[in-house]
Amino acid sequence: MLEFLIPNNIVCHAVEAMLFASVACAVLGVIITQIQISSIGFTMAHAAFAGAAVGMFLSLNSTICAIIAGVCVAFLIGPLSDKARVSADTALGLLFGISMAVAIFFIAYMQTLGKGFSAMGLLFGDVISLYREEIYLLAIICVVAVVFVVVLYKEITGIIFNKKIAESVGIRVKPVYYAMLFVIALTVALCIPIIGGLLLYVWLVTPAAIALQFCYRLSAMFVVAPLVAAAISVSGALAGLEYSLPVAPLTAVLLSLVFIIAVVISPKRRITFRKS
Amino acid sequence: MTSVGPAIEIQGVYTAYEGAERPTLTDVSLTIGRGEYVVIGGPNGAGKTTLLETINGMLPITHGNALVCGHNVRGNGVQVRCRVGYLLQNFSFDPLTPFTVEEVVMMGRFGKMGLFRKPGKEDHDAVKKALALLEIEDLADRPIGHLSGGQQQKVLLAQNLARDPEILLLDEPFSNLDMFAREAINRLLTRLVIDGITVIIVSHAFDDLPDRPVRVLVMQEGKIALDRECSPGEVEQVIRNAGNGTRNA
Ligand SMILES: Nc1ncnc2c1ncn2[C@@H]1O[C@H](COP(=O)(O)OP(=O)(O)O)[C@@H](O)[C@H]1O
Ligand SMILES: [Mg+2]
Repeated sequence: MLEFLIPNNIVCHAVEAMLFASVACAVLGVIITQIQISSIGFTMAHAAFAGAAVGMFLSLNSTICAIIAGVCVAFLIGPLSDKARVSADTALGLLFGISMAVAIFFIAYMQTLGKGFSAMGLLFGDVISLYREEIYLLAIICVVAVVFVVVLYKEITGIIFNKKIAESVGIRVKPVYYAMLFVIALTVALCIPIIGGLLLYVWLVTPAAIALQFCYRLSAMFVVAPLVAAAISVSGALAGLEYSLPVAPLTAVLLSLVFIIAVVISPKRRITFRKS
Repeated sequence: MTSVGPAIEIQGVYTAYEGAERPTLTDVSLTIGRGEYVVIGGPNGAGKTTLLETINGMLPITHGNALVCGHNVRGNGVQVRCRVGYLLQNFSFDPLTPFTVEEVVMMGRFGKMGLFRKPGKEDHDAVKKALALLEIEDLADRPIGHLSGGQQQKVLLAQNLARDPEILLLDEPFSNLDMFAREAINRLLTRLVIDGITVIIVSHAFDDLPDRPVRVLVMQEGKIALDRECSPGEVEQVIRNAGNGTRNA
């Protein structure tokens, strides 16, 4: 899609993949961090990761397996999380543990079978050996995430403000909340091959956290977070391919560095009042 | 558009919290007309909040029937909540909450506006009017987390007024307010009642009641222990007596 800008095919695909994945993750990341369901995002990411590993082991389509696992977890933890029971925390911990165990088991086993290289991709991401279809899928999920937020903006902001108040003003909290978990699960599953199951969390949380350092309004966060994520991810992809460094880990480090800088220069931490 | 008939008609209602062994409200029946001013008293844990959330359909009714603004609460919770304001007990927002006062008040209309619609002129006008009613226009652009507890409470009340409710449920609304704010809000509530809005208020502060007959409900252990009309001056005594009555029994 961006061939007119980047003639090298591999670089072009890598940039496209990082662009779409980062925008989708950052937009949803604003929701995830603001509703404070990072632990759900975290668990879904690892479940999808386990699904992908199992799929790869069984020589099934690992993306589809990742989607199935992510969506299953979304609908397992949804009812727990919207009751805000203490046990939700424990349930997430359990699911997270199981996912990691399953994923690591199959990845380790595949390494003994000589399928180690592609299995490592699931852990740390791989932007080089992507199929064109995967990039189209990423473009679609990126559009889906953005459209989802635009179309249900009122309802989403209400839920972010306070779920109980949102319900009391007549917002249909439950269907919107579940749709949200579903879109997050899809996005997470599709991003795993690029970003990797272990690093995905950085894309879900860091851009939103950076935006929060500068934005007083939610609407601004929804714009700033994906812009920052896209800029850093594209730079990371270009730099990584230029200097033969692993793209996703490099970008994750860049994102974290930018976050630290953002915290230091954030106007929110400054007292601007001066006694004249 | 207001519906006909009484504002609230509840018959033999039981409400249970999920996972609880016994229902919290047991066999509650109640009819409240339009434009009534109802004060609900009773000890902590008596079920006052539960009654309010049963009326607006936020808690599941296990037995009995509840008709609010002409809608059966069971199965039509959203429609009911679009017509009923509900000011929740004890709320405060941390300084990082990324919403301005105006945005919070606008949120009060989100249910009424329905899915996929964006706020229009009518909605912005209603928000302005609600801010003016509570005299907080000057706070419109401030982040809600930067306000005092009392100011936040006023914003949430404005949020509820913004959707032109037929019924207003207030759960201990005076807890964070100073004397002047309490007087101002009472004048406001009196005006709303005169305009035909039903006001139901859970409160322990009786010095600022409107100067007109008030209906008092006293709740005890999930039941309505007393239901009578009296003058504003008598309310405190009536609630006290009801409390003593059961303690001696
Ligand atoms: N979320 C809940 N789950 C289970 N029980 C609850 C819940 N909230 C309140 N209750 C119980 O319901 C009863 C009534 O509570 P409530 O309506 O909040 O009382 P109050 O009159 O003080 O507003 C109390 O005994 C309380 O323990
Ligand atoms: Mg209460």
